[in-house]
Amino acid sequence: MDNSNNGLASNHVFSRMLRWQLAATAVVAIIALFISGTHASVSALAGGFPVIMGAFIGSKIAQRSDSKKDASSILVNLLKAEAIKILVVVVVLFITFKVYKQLVPFALIVGLAAAALFSGAAISKLDDDTSQIK
Amino acid sequence: METVQFLAMIQAYTGVGIGLIIGLGAAGACIGIGIMCASFLEGAARQPEMIPQLQGKVFLLLGLIDASFIIGVGLAMMFAFANPLLSVVAQ
Repeated sequence: MDNSNNGLASNHVFSRMLRWQLAATAVVAIIALFISGTHASVSALAGGFPVIMGAFIGSKIAQRSDSKKDASSILVNLLKAEAIKILVVVVVLFITFKVYKQLVPFALIVGLAAAALFSGAAISKLDDDTSQIK
Repeated sequence: METVQFLAMIQAYTGVGIGLIIGLGAAGACIGIGIMCASFLEGAARQPEMIPQLQGKVFLLLGLIDASFIIGVGLAMMFAFANPLLSVVAQ
């Protein structure tokens, strides 16, 4: 198999994942705006933002292993990306809880959960993308 | 005095709960990641030409496995910084 399209394929997967996360967070924020007002909406965005930011930084680190062919080095790079993603999420959440005084905790948790769970939704389109890129 | 005792008890039990949320979540995520990484290495050893396709799937599934842990961390932070149980005593 030709490996020249590896970077393009993984880039497409990561951008699709980020798009799903953004859409999920936006939907939760809009629902929260109608149910509980502006602070709930901002809290939902503040919940989704750390996950999206962590996933973006993690995907940039994971993409560094596109040129590598050794499975163990790819795996180490992916685990490194995941560890940095969790670190970013924890730090940004900590800052959010400390700084934002009018926080609506339930809206934040729902936004966070939506963004975290919908990151896996991109896998449903993964096979279509790889077949198109080939 | 009684109120202070109730507050102290709620905070103590909340601390235990936070530890359990983070600890059990981390344990579950680590077991899941271990199983998936072993499967990835096995798949890569059997069919090295599949590594590029597997790489994207592994990253997405890593995020999905960690989702429960990340949600748990969010809940734990909510109980640590804005504990809703304390408002019951404050009333």
